[in-house]
Amino acid sequence: MHVLEARHLTKTYRIGEREISILEDISFGVPAGEFLVVEGASGSGKTTLLTLLSGLDRPTAGSVWIGETDITDLKEDELAPFRNETLGFVFQSFHLVPSLNALENVMLPAELRGDPRAPEKAEALMKRVGLADRRFNFPHQLSGGEKQRVALCRALVNEPEILFADEPTGNLDSENSDAILDLLLALRKEHGATLVMVTHSPDIAAAADRTVTLRDGRIVGERRHAA
Amino acid sequence: MLHKRFILRQLTRSGNQAAVFVLCVTLSILTIVAVNGFSESINRSLLRDARALHSGDIILHAHYPFSPALLDAVADLEAEGDARSLRIYDFYSVVRSPEGEKTLLVDLKVVGPEYPFYGRVELASGRTFRSVLAPGTAIVEQALLDRLGLALGDRLHVGEAVLTVTDVVTREPDRPVNFLSFGPRVIIDIADLEKLDLLQRGSRVGYYLMLKLPERTNLERTAEKLRSAAVAGQERVETYRTARSRIKRFFDNFLFFLALIAIFTLLLSGIGIRSALTALLKEKERTIAVIKAVGGTGPFVVGHYLAVVAVLGLIGTALGLILGFGLQYSLPLFFGNLLPENLHLVISWRAVLEGLVLGILVVALFAFIPLHHLREIKPSAVFRKESAENRRSAPFYLAALIIFLFFVGMVLWQLKDMKIGSYFVLGIVGLIVLTGLATQGILFGVRRLPIRSLALRQALRGLFRPGNATRAVIITLSAALAVVFSIYLVEENLDAAFVRSYPADAPNLFFIDIQPDQVDAFSDTLGMTPRYYPVIRSRLVSVNGERIDREQERKRRGDNLARPFNLTYRDYLLEDEAMRVGDSLFREDLEGLQVSVLDTVVEMKPMAIGDRIRFNIQGVPVEAAVSSIRTRTKESIKPFFYFVFPEDSMLRKAPQSIFTAVRVDRDEIGAVQNRIITRFPNVTAVDVTQTIAAFADIVHRFSLVIRFFTIFSIIAGVLIIISSVLATRFARIQEAVYFKILGAKGRFVLTVFALENLAIGLISALLALVISQAGSWIISARVFDIAYRPNPAASLLMVLATVLLVIGVGLSASVSILKQRPVIFLREQTEE
Ligand SMILES: Nc1ncnc2c1ncn2[C@@H]1O[C@H](COP(=O)(O)OP(=O)(O)OP(=O)(O)O)[C@@H](O)[C@H]1O
Ligand SMILES: [Mg+2]
Repeated sequence: MHVLEARHLTKTYRIGEREISILEDISFGVPAGEFLVVEGASGSGKTTLLTLLSGLDRPTAGSVWIGETDITDLKEDELAPFRNETLGFVFQSFHLVPSLNALENVMLPAELRGDPRAPEKAEALMKRVGLADRRFNFPHQLSGGEKQRVALCRALVNEPEILFADEPTGNLDSENSDAILDLLLALRKEHGATLVMVTHSPDIAAAADRTVTLRDGRIVGERRHAA
Repeated sequence: MLHKRFILRQLTRSGNQAAVFVLCVTLSILTIVAVNGFSESINRSLLRDARALHSGDIILHAHYPFSPALLDAVADLEAEGDARSLRIYDFYSVVRSPEGEKTLLVDLKVVGPEYPFYGRVELASGRTFRSVLAPGTAIVEQALLDRLGLALGDRLHVGEAVLTVTDVVTREPDRPVNFLSFGPRVIIDIADLEKLDLLQRGSRVGYYLMLKLPERTNLERTAEKLRSAAVAGQERVETYRTARSRIKRFFDNFLFFLALIAIFTLLLSGIGIRSALTALLKEKERTIAVIKAVGGTGPFVVGHYLAVVAVLGLIGTALGLILGFGLQYSLPLFFGNLLPENLHLVISWRAVLEGLVLGILVVALFAFIPLHHLREIKPSAVFRKESAENRRSAPFYLAALIIFLFFVGMVLWQLKDMKIGSYFVLGIVGLIVLTGLATQGILFGVRRLPIRSLALRQALRGLFRPGNATRAVIITLSAALAVVFSIYLVEENLDAAFVRSYPADAPNLFFIDIQPDQVDAFSDTLGMTPRYYPVIRSRLVSVNGERIDREQERKRRGDNLARPFNLTYRDYLLEDEAMRVGDSLFREDLEGLQVSVLDTVVEMKPMAIGDRIRFNIQGVPVEAAVSSIRTRTKESIKPFFYFVFPEDSMLRKAPQSIFTAVRVDRDEIGAVQNRIITRFPNVTAVDVTQTIAAFADIVHRFSLVIRFFTIFSIIAGVLIIISSVLATRFARIQEAVYFKILGAKGRFVLTVFALENLAIGLISALLALVISQAGSWIISARVFDIAYRPNPAASLLMVLATVLLVIGVGLSASVSILKQRPVIFLREQTEE
C-alpha cells in the first residue's frame, strides 16, 4: 500500500507568452514508513515537486493521493486541516513564526488542531531535542541549528504520517547538519513517519531506503538501497 | 549632485506607504486651508465692512436714555456740520396677530429716517428700504409671517400701536446673521415710537445713536470729544474701528474654537507623517545599506531621500490645496442650511498661502527624525535580517523640542491669546501624555495576559510586531475620538439639562418690565400672585476704590464685570440659595448701605466682607459694603440676582421694573401670554422653553460644523492605521503563510487579523471613552453647572463604531496579505 502517490504530475508556468514546463508526467508511489530522497541538480524541480506532493501548490495536471484522498481535489479550506493532521514540514530556511517563542512555535500545529495536550507534547519534544532551556526564546534569539531543531519539533508535534523536508540542512554548517540529520532520522523512527526529503548530500542519500533523481522535470533514475 | 534617475526610481517604487505619507500631508494642508478659508469667508462676507456692521462711524450705546450732556454734544456736532446722527432702539417685545389669538416674541428695531448710514437693507420685494418704511408700517422677517400666519398687508399689534406689514427683510447690514436672535426681526419707523409706548424707565432697551462724519472730520478726536461728555460706565462711545459687535464676538469665539481643532488635526497628521515616513524609509533600509556598502556616503543617501520626501510632500501639498478649494466650494453642500443664508464662501488666497507655508513646515518638522535616522544605517545591515532599533539620540530630542516649540508658536499665532493659548497647549500636551501613558500601561498589561485562545493570543502578539505603529495608532485615535466625543457629550448634556427635560417645577414663562404700579392688576390678570422681583439696572464702577477696567473685562470670554447688572432688594434667601460667607444676608456691624453678592461675582473678582462696591444706578453713584456671599444650591432656570440690597434701602426709590416668572401648563402658555400683553403692552412675556429650544438649535448647528472639522483628526488616525498595516506587511504575510502551511484555514488568519484590529479599536475607543466622559463631566459640572448624564447608549455606539471602523480599515489594508499564496512567499524567502 502506498501512503503517498503521484500520478502523472505536470506543472507548467506561464511567463508572458511562453509556457515553461517544470515537471512533466511524474508518477511514483511511496509505501508507508519509507525514507525517500529526491535529488537532482539545482533548478531540476525538486522543490516544486515537494510543494505539489504536500498540497502547498496545485499541479497543472495529474493528481496526488495521500492514503485514500486525492488532495488535488480538496478545497483550500479542506486541505488546511488535512495538512495539519497528516503532514509535517521542515524547510531549508526554518520559517519559524517570529512573533512566537520556541515553545509556542512547536505548539502551534497542535493548537490549530485544538489538541488540549499541545503544551505537554511540545514540552516533551523540546526536551527530546535538548532545547528545554531555550523554550521561551524567540526565533531571533536562537542559532540556526537551534531554529531547525525547533522546526523539527513543530513538524512532529501532530505525529504526522508523512514528513517533508526540503534541504533541511542547507543553511547549516556540517557539524550542525549532522546533528539535525541524526535527530531527524531518529525521530522519524520513533514516530514511524514516512519521510520525503530533498537533499544534495550523498551521505544522506546513502541512508535512505530509496532515491529518485530528477532532471529537467522528469524522473531520470531511481535507486533502492539495501536496508 | 542629485541623481535624478535614482530619485525617480525611489518615487515610483515607493508604493502604498508613499501614498499614505502623501495623504497625511494632504490632510494637514486640507485642514488648514479649509478652516482658515472658512474663517476668511465668514470674516469677509459677514464682518469685513466694519462700518456697515455698525451702521455708523461713531456708535453711542447705552441701556438708558442718553444723558442731556451727550445729546448736547451730538447736537453741537450736527450744528457745526461735523456729523449727522441717527437713532436706533433695539429691544425684545411680544407682538400679536390682529385677532390677538397668536403672540410672538420679536426683536424690535426702531430706526431713524436715515438708517442705514452704511450698507443696504435688502427687502424681499427688491424695493429700497427708505421707500418702504413709513410711519404706521412694519417690515418683518419671513419667520414672523410664518409663525403668526400673516401675509403682507396684514396688521400687527406692537405695543399700543397697530401697524401694517409692508415687506419682508432679508438682510440687514448691521445684523449679517440672524441666528443670534431669539425672535424674528420687526423694523419700525422712529415716528411710531411714542405710539408703541414700550419704553418705560428700567426696561431692557438698547439705545443707540449712530453718527456719520464727513470725510474731513477726525474720527478719533470727535469720538474723544463725545466720550468726555458721556456718563462714564453707562454710555459707551466707540468708533467702527474699535467696537466689537455681538456677532463679531460670537464668530470670534466660534472661529477660535475651529482654529483649536485645526491645530489639533495638524498635530495628529504630523504624527501620521512621521509614522508613514518611518515605515517608508524602513522598507528602503536594505537598499540604503547596499548603497552605503557600494560606497554611497551618508550625505548622498540623506540628500536623495530628502529630495524624494520633498517631491512627495509637494504632491501632498498640491493635493491638499486642490481638495481645500473643493471643500470650500462644497461647504454649503455639507452644511446646507446650517450656515447663515447670506454667507458667501470665498476662495481665500491668504488661506492658501498659509496652508502652503504650514504644510512645508509640518512636513519638514515631522520628516526630520525619520530622515535623520537614515544616517545611522550601517552598510553591515545588508547581512542582518533584523533592522536596527530606532535609537533615541540627541537629534531626536532636539527635533521633538522644535516640534513642540512650533506647535506652541502655531497655537499662539492662530489663537492670538497668550493665556488661552497656553491652556490649550497644556491641555493638548496633557491629553497626549495621558493617552500615551495609558496606552503604555494597557499594552504592558496586555502583553502579560495569559490567554488560552490561540487566535486571540496571536492577535495580541501582533500588537507588538516590530514596526507596528500600535502606540501611535492608539494615541492618535483615542485623542481624536476623545475630543470629538467630548464635544458631543457636552452638547447632549446641555440639551438634556435645558431643553429635553425642562424641569417640571421650573418656571416657563418670564415677564419682564412690569411697572411697579401695574403689579396688582397684573396679579389679577394672571389669576395668581407670583413672587415679584424688583429689578434695577446698574453698572459696577469700582471695588474698594479700584476702578473696573472695562477694556480688560470685555476681553474675558466668560461673564465679565463690565456688563450691566440687575440689582434687587429683599431680606430673605431664595429656596435655591445658601449662605457661603456670613450667617445672614445683612449684618448689624456694618455702617451704611449693604449688599449681598453671589459667589459668581467673587470668582470674577475676589471680594471679602466689608469690601466697598461702587455702583452707577442710572447716573446716580451708590456705594455699598459687602455683607455676605451667597451661593446657589442648584443650577436651575429660576431667576437669580448677583447683587441683593436690603428691602428697606434707598434702592426702593430707584427707577425700577418688576420681573416675575411663573409655571404655566404647556398648552396654556399662549393664552396667558395673550391675556397679559393685551392688557399690558409694555410687558415682555418670554416663553422660556421656546427660547431655550431656539438657543439649542443654534448650539446644535455650530456643533455640527465643529464636528465636521473634527472628523479630519479621525482621518489622521485612520491613515496611521493603514500606514501601520503596510509597515508590517511582510511580517503579516509571513505569519499568514506559516499559519496556512501548518494547517490553519483562511478563516483563522482572518480572525487573527480581525482580533488584532479589534484590540486596537477597543483600546482606543475605551480610552477615548474614559477621557471624554471624565472631560465632559468636568466641563458640565464646572463650567455649565449642570447634572451630568454619561449617555451609555451613545457611548456604546461610539465604541462600536470605532471598533468597526478600525477592523474595517485594518482588514481592507490586509486584503492583499490574506490573498498571498504560500508557495510564492516561501520561494522568495528561501532565496534571500
Ligand atoms: N513561479 C514560477 N514561475 C516560473 N518559473 C518558476 C516558478 N517557480 C519555479 N520556477 C522554475 O522552476 C524550476 C524549478 O524550480 P525548483 O525550485 O523546483 O528547483 P529545485 O530543484 O528545488 O532547485 P534548487 O536545488 O536550487 O532548490 C526553476 O527553473 C525555476 O526557475
Ligand atoms: Mg529547491
